Amino acid sequence: MGLSDGDIMRYEEWNKISRIASRKSLWMLHFCTGCGAVELPPVMTSRYDMERFGMGPMATPRQADVLLITGYLTVKTLKRVVNVYEQMQSPKYVISFGSCPINGGMYWDSYNTVKRLDRYLPVDVYVGGCMPRPEGVMNAFLELMKLIDEGKARGWEKYQKYYEQYKRNQKMAFGFERGKNEGD
Amino acid sequence: MKAIEIIGKGEEMHGRAYIPSGREEAGTIIKKLKENGFAHFVMLSCVDWIDKNEFELVYHMWSYEHKEHAMISVRLPRDNPSMFSMHELFPQIETYEREIHEMYGIDFEGNSRLTPFLLEGWHDTPPMRKDFDSKKFAEDVFDSIPEIKEEEDEGI
Amino acid sequence: MVDFLIKIAVIALYTTIAMLVGILFMGIGRKIVARVHNRVGPPVYQGFIDIAKLLTKKTNISHGWIYDLALLFSLTGIILTILFLPIGGVKLLGTEGDAFLVLYLLAIPALGFALGAGASGNPNAAIGVMRALVMMLSYELPFVITMIALMIYYDTSSIAQIVELQRARWAIMIPPFMLAAAVADMALQGMLMEAPFDIPTAPHEIASGPMAEFGGKHLGSLMLYKAGTIVAYTTLFVDLFLGGGVVMHDGSILSYIVNFAVWFLLILLIFTLSLLINASFPRFRIEQAFKFYWKYEALLAFISLIWVYLMVIS
Repeated sequence: MGLSDGDIMRYEEWNKISRIASRKSLWMLHFCTGCGAVELPPVMTSRYDMERFGMGPMATPRQADVLLITGYLTVKTLKRVVNVYEQMQSPKYVISFGSCPINGGMYWDSYNTVKRLDRYLPVDVYVGGCMPRPEGVMNAFLELMKLIDEGKARGWEKYQKYYEQYKRNQKMAFGFERGKNEGD
Repeated sequence: MKAIEIIGKGEEMHGRAYIPSGREEAGTIIKKLKENGFAHFVMLSCVDWIDKNEFELVYHMWSYEHKEHAMISVRLPRDNPSMFSMHELFPQIETYEREIHEMYGIDFEGNSRLTPFLLEGWHDTPPMRKDFDSKKFAEDVFDSIPEIKEEEDEGI
Repeated sequence: MVDFLIKIAVIALYTTIAMLVGILFMGIGRKIVARVHNRVGPPVYQGFIDIAKLLTKKTNISHGWIYDLALLFSLTGIILTILFLPIGGVKLLGTEGDAFLVLYLLAIPALGFALGAGASGNPNAAIGVMRALVMMLSYELPFVITMIALMIYYDTSSIAQIVELQRARWAIMIPPFMLAAAVADMALQGMLMEAPFDIPTAPHEIASGPMAEFGGKHLGSLMLYKAGTIVAYTTLFVDLFLGGGVVMHDGSILSYIVNFAVWFLLILLIFTLSLLINASFPRFRIEQAFKFYWKYEALLAFISLIWVYLMVIS
């Protein structure tokens, strides 16, 4: 592309500023269709006070930086989660909260729970447990801050790069490639 | 039990009135109970008795006057099960019927809203039937989805 | 020519300072609300971090050119309003009759905001805009009546002159204007969209209303606009009732600095008062807010107007 070394350096500097700013101001969209929504009020209010670190809940995906997915995801909600994720502005991060988005959890043999979230969306930080406590949420955010600082939270770049693979997996889960409901 | 007195048949089961009913007479029984104090329709549930090759629909009703829980049980054959819709008696039954239609594949004559409800794009056996192998389905569908193959490079 | 350039430089400096103060106030505001909630709260410079983050976002969705330009429209409107208001007794663009001009200018940013939100096409935004405009209509009536009372008392329609005439005694120390200041403070609550009048941007009910579709750089400029409104509205209040923060009149360098510091403290005081009300009240529904402003506030404003009129003619 004909970038000189100076350009690349400036670009790196710019990225660094961007990273420092986004690390200290993580706005969260919580997608709580499963369980676990009740763990968030203590995190937001005076007990754990997430606003200390500049984090805060946001009302719409356009404004948010972090998508916090709590609890199990069914095929139906996965469609909505993908929709929400694609509405968010990069750089964006995903935190999966609870056992179910990791491997299905207690719904491992359910007919309707998509078991592993990382096959459909790039997940930056996992919080294990059923349910994890509010400390888990705080810890996940601090971990995410560390990853952003080191430039390792690159889920959104991964999603852009392997978009076709992610789309293929999503379509398989939605049943397009099972060949049973074309045109859905 | 009051419900058994009203209908004239049935037995007491765990403190509740259990009234077995045929497919055709269930409507008249529910109507009669509704007129005699059982004003609250609690829910409609379904049981798959796969050994007897039957579905059991259970209509749960509650009376605030008699403080009594009545269950009207209707047994249907597993092949092409079909029942009359009761949504004229209690409008909320329509939603229960939608769910049972989706989860067990029971047809309700007279219900015009038997469209997909909780599941999306489902074309397999109804999932709550006992002969549906949920574990195998989950393995076939969700475990067959491949992982994202990443290239070995750092310069994303 | 040199004078002209100096004037432009001073205007740029004032705008920058006003914006920086506004952004700082957003952080201070969050800190104060957090302390009321018995939380630690974010650092006071959080507003700068938030805006830096939003402006360095990698992707930005646009919903058409109206959506892009409306933000500039409201940002320009709010900067223009700030320039017409004397800050620390220094008037930049003020002329004869600028009190009326400011009243019109105050509507421009809100309209630009409404235009941008309307262009985003989100139904929640449309509801929020409708509520914001009804709110604007509501708080303007009592506010305009209090401003007319001030204009009658000081017999001028220039804000700079109102500030000048409060040299001996601030307007708020005159009995009818105590009432008027209370009315104007509640109107300020509506202007700043703080509780109990934050229904236009209620996050839980209509997903933050007009802001629903804003993200990235657009939301960043919206926050700059918000920072500007904080400074503009609190400065307007301070200019009208608290003598614009002018305590030294000799025109030396020191007096500029002292006046600036007093202005800063006074708008901080007004903003803190507004935040304490914000942190302790739930929100009104839009028709309740309308009723509050047009029934009780307008009545009180009208009483103060008649009182002032009787004082002037006697």
